Amino acid sequence: MLTQLKGGRVIDPAHNRDAVGDVYLENGRIVDAPEGREPDEVHNVSGKIVMAGAIDVHSHIAGTNVTLGRQLMPELPLMASAEGQPILPSSAAWGSYATGIRYAEMGYTTVIEPAMIPTHAIQAHKEMASIPIIDVAGLVILGNDDYTLNLLRTGNVKSDELKDYVAWTLMHSKALGLKVINAGGSEAFKFNARTFDLDEQVPEYGVTSRGIVEAMQQAIADLGVPHPPHVHTNNLGIAGNVDTAVATLEATQAHPIHLAHIQFYGYGKEGDKGFSSGAPRLMEAINKNKKATVDVGQVMFGQTVTISGDVLRQFTARAANPKKWVINQADGNGTGIVPYNYKKKSFVNALQWAIGLEIFLLAEDPWRVLFSTDHPNGALFVRYPEIFHLLMDKNERLRWFDRLPEASRQVSGLAGISRELTLSELAIITRAAPAKVLGLTDRGHLAPGAIADVAVYTDQKNKTKMFSAADLVFKSGKLVVRNGNVVDVSWGRCYHVDPGFDRQIENRVRSFYETYYGADPSWFGVTPTVSDRPDRFATIPCAS
Amino acid sequence: MDSTLQRAADLLAQARFPVFGGLFTDVNGAAAALALAQKLGGVVDHAASEGMSRAARVMRETGSTPASFGEVRNRADTIVLIGDSPRARDPELLEKLFPAKALPRPGDNARELVVVGAKKGKTPAGLRTTEIDGKTALPELVASLGAAIRELPFEIRDAALAKKILSTGKRLRESAFAVFVYDPAEIEEPVLHTVLEAVRHLVKTTRAATLSLAAPGNGEGVNLCSTWTCGLPVRTSFAGETPENNMWAFETERLLKSGEADALVWIDALDGADAAPPTRAFRGISSVVLSSKPVKAGRDDVVVEVGAAVADHDAAVYLPPIAGIGEVKATSADASKPTVADVLNKIGTLIDAKRAA
Repeated sequence: MLTQLKGGRVIDPAHNRDAVGDVYLENGRIVDAPEGREPDEVHNVSGKIVMAGAIDVHSHIAGTNVTLGRQLMPELPLMASAEGQPILPSSAAWGSYATGIRYAEMGYTTVIEPAMIPTHAIQAHKEMASIPIIDVAGLVILGNDDYTLNLLRTGNVKSDELKDYVAWTLMHSKALGLKVINAGGSEAFKFNARTFDLDEQVPEYGVTSRGIVEAMQQAIADLGVPHPPHVHTNNLGIAGNVDTAVATLEATQAHPIHLAHIQFYGYGKEGDKGFSSGAPRLMEAINKNKKATVDVGQVMFGQTVTISGDVLRQFTARAANPKKWVINQADGNGTGIVPYNYKKKSFVNALQWAIGLEIFLLAEDPWRVLFSTDHPNGALFVRYPEIFHLLMDKNERLRWFDRLPEASRQVSGLAGISRELTLSELAIITRAAPAKVLGLTDRGHLAPGAIADVAVYTDQKNKTKMFSAADLVFKSGKLVVRNGNVVDVSWGRCYHVDPGFDRQIENRVRSFYETYYGADPSWFGVTPTVSDRPDRFATIPCAS
Repeated sequence: MDSTLQRAADLLAQARFPVFGGLFTDVNGAAAALALAQKLGGVVDHAASEGMSRAARVMRETGSTPASFGEVRNRADTIVLIGDSPRARDPELLEKLFPAKALPRPGDNARELVVVGAKKGKTPAGLRTTEIDGKTALPELVASLGAAIRELPFEIRDAALAKKILSTGKRLRESAFAVFVYDPAEIEEPVLHTVLEAVRHLVKTTRAATLSLAAPGNGEGVNLCSTWTCGLPVRTSFAGETPENNMWAFETERLLKSGEADALVWIDALDGADAAPPTRAFRGISSVVLSSKPVKAGRDDVVVEVGAAVADHDAAVYLPPIAGIGEVKATSADASKPTVADVLNKIGTLIDAKRAA
C-alpha cells in the first residue's frame, strides 16, 4: 500500500531538508515520489511537522536492574504524579507494555536499553520483547567481570583473546554494542573501595580504569562494531568530577567513544558550597575531541528512582528518598537502586538541571551531543516534551530558572544563554545523530530506503504540548498513533551485531563459568526463540 | 484436545473472578497466564509465593542487600546460615558455597561458616564452623546476633551461647564480606528486618549482603515476569481498571476459602518440582488444570496434560547459579505434549472468538 503524507513541513537534517513537501511510505519503507501512481492512502498534514521517528540512545527500559527498581518502587508512577507531574502511561504501575505505548505516543520508534547484564540477557530480551510498537536494542556490560579483568591483568595482557571475548559476549547476548560502567570500579568495590579514579588500579588485577576503557575501544574498533564503547565513566555525581570527564575525553582520542549521561559529570567544586557548573569546561573538551559523542542525561524535578550498574557510586549515594535502597552485589557490575526526588528548592538539584541545559546549549555540534535523561535516573522518559520546550524556548527556560534558589542562579551561566534549538537541531539530537552513532543507518532520516518510522506533530508554541502527543506515528509504515493515542498495537524488532570470533573462546568461557560459577554459559545464550515472533531479530553488519 | 480446550474456554469465559494458582511453570507459561488473567480480570498467584511475598514486602518497606550466588561462593569469607530450610532445600548447598577454587576475594581471613538456629547438619570437612543454637528460638538468636554486631547489649541466659554470639558479632565486623543465607519462607518478617539492619550496619565499614534462597517451582522467574509485565509481583489482581497487588487478599487459598474466586486455573508443569494444591482445590470450584503429572480432579473439571518444562521442552526458568533467568535445554524433548504457554494462549484465542461471536 502506498501512503502519502501530503504537504507537511518535512524536517530531515540528515539530508539538510526543512521544507514543505510530501513523504511516501510503501512496504514499511520510505519511497521516492512515485511517477504515475495514485497513493492508496493520503494523510493531509499541511501545517504539520513531519520528522523521522525518534530514537532514544540511552533509556533503562528492560532487564534485571529495571525490574529490581520496579520491585523496590512499585509506587513510582503514583509518587511521580503527586505534584502534578506527568505520569507514566499507567498510573498504577510501570510495566513493559505501558512503556512501549507511551514512547509511541510521543513519536519514539526506537529505544536502546543501555545496560544488559551478560548472564541475564535472556530476561532483558524477554522484557524488551514484551514492549509493544518500538524497535529496541541492548548494550551489554563488560569491564568489571573477572574474565575481562583477568585478560587485562598487568604484565599478562591478552588483547586478542579480549577481542574474541567481546565478540562472543555481543553474539551470546544479542547486543548492539558494548557498555562499560565505572570500569574496574565495581570490582574495586568488591574489595571495599568506596571511590575509584581513572588511574587507580583494580585490586588483584593491577589494570587501571583507563586501561580497561582503552582496551575495550581497541577491541570494538578491531571488530568493526558500528557503535563505539558506550562508557559510564568514574566519579559520577561527585563535585569536581568534570576533571575526570575531561581526562577521560583526553585519554580516549585514539578511537571513537560514547560517553553516557554527561550531565552527571559536569560538576566543578567552586563556590561557597563546593559545587558549581563545570559545563563550559566540559563542553570545551567535548567540542575538541571529535571522535567523542555524548548523551546528556538531563535532570527534571520530581520523584524518580535511580538504577545503575555503578554499584560503587550507588552505594555511596544511598541516602535515598524515600528511604529505602537496594545494593545488589552481583557477578560483574552489580546494581544499585536508589529512589531520588529532584527538588526545585535544592541548590544541587537546581544546578544539575541548569548544567544539563547548558550542555545542550553550548554544544557546537549537535550531532555529537545527543538527547537523553538516562531514564529513569535524571528524569522519567515521559518528561522529554518539557525538556524539548526548555531547549527551544528561552522564555520558558527563564520562567523555570527564575524559580530556582538564588544561590543556584548565581553560579549558573544558563540565564546568559539565549540560544533556542531549532526543530532541525531537535531532530538531530533525537533522531539523526542517535541513528548515526548507533550504526542504525536505516532510520533517523526520511530518505527513500529508510524504514518508514515517521512522526507528525502540530507545530505550536507550547512545545511540551506539541511533543507530548504526536498527531500521527507510523512504525514500519503502519499507522500506530493517531491524535496522541495508540490505534494499533504492533510489535517491533530487536537489532544486534554478530562480529565473529575464534571458536576457542567458547571452550575457555565454558571452563571459566563451570569452575567459578557452577554454570553453563549456554544457559544465558540468547536464541531467536527468546521471543515467539519469528522475525524478531535483525543483524547490523560490522565493518570487519 | 480441541474439545478440552473449548470446554476450558467456556468455563473461564463465564468466570467472574478466576484465580491462576500454582504457576509452577516456565517464564513463557507465566507470561501466558498473566495475559489470560488480564483478559479475564483474574488474579495471578504462585504456590510458593508466601516467602517471596514476605521478602517483597520487606524490600518495599526498607530495601534489600542481595548478593548473587556467584559472588557469595567466590568472595564471601563468612557465611551465616540461618535456619534449617536452606540445607533441607539443597543438601549440597554448603559444598556449592565453599568451592575448592574461587576468584580473588577481599581480605585474608580464612573462610568460615556460622550456623544459626538450625539442627546439627553436615558441614564441609575442614571448614571452621560455629553453631549458634541451643534451646533459644531463632528470632531471639538472630536478634541477639544483630545486637552483638552493633555492639549493643542483649540478654541470653546460656553464658556459653552468649559468648559465642559475641565473638561471632566481632568476627562479622572483621569480615571482608559477610553473607547471611536464609529461606524467606522459613523466617518471619521481623527476623528479615533484623538481618537487613545488621547488613546495613556492617556495610558502613566493610562488605556484607544477603543470599535469599530462590523459591521452588520457578517462583522467582514467575514473580519477575509478573513484575516486568504489569509492574507488580504475583498476588496481583486484574479485576479493576489498574492492576492491584495485595499479599493477603490475592492469595489462592484465601480466595478459594472465602468463595471470592469462582474459578481456578491450576498450573503444575515443571520438571522436578510439585506444587502443593490448595486445600479447597477441585472441590466445588470450577477448575482448569494444566499439569504434567497425574491429577485427581473433580468430575466437571477440565484437565489438560501438558509437557513438563525443562524435561519435555526447552524452558526459561530462574537459575540460582546465575542469580537470574536462563534457558535450559530439554532433557528428553517430547513435542507431542503442549506447553503451558501453548494451551493458555489457545484458550485465550478461543475466549476472544467466543466473545466476538
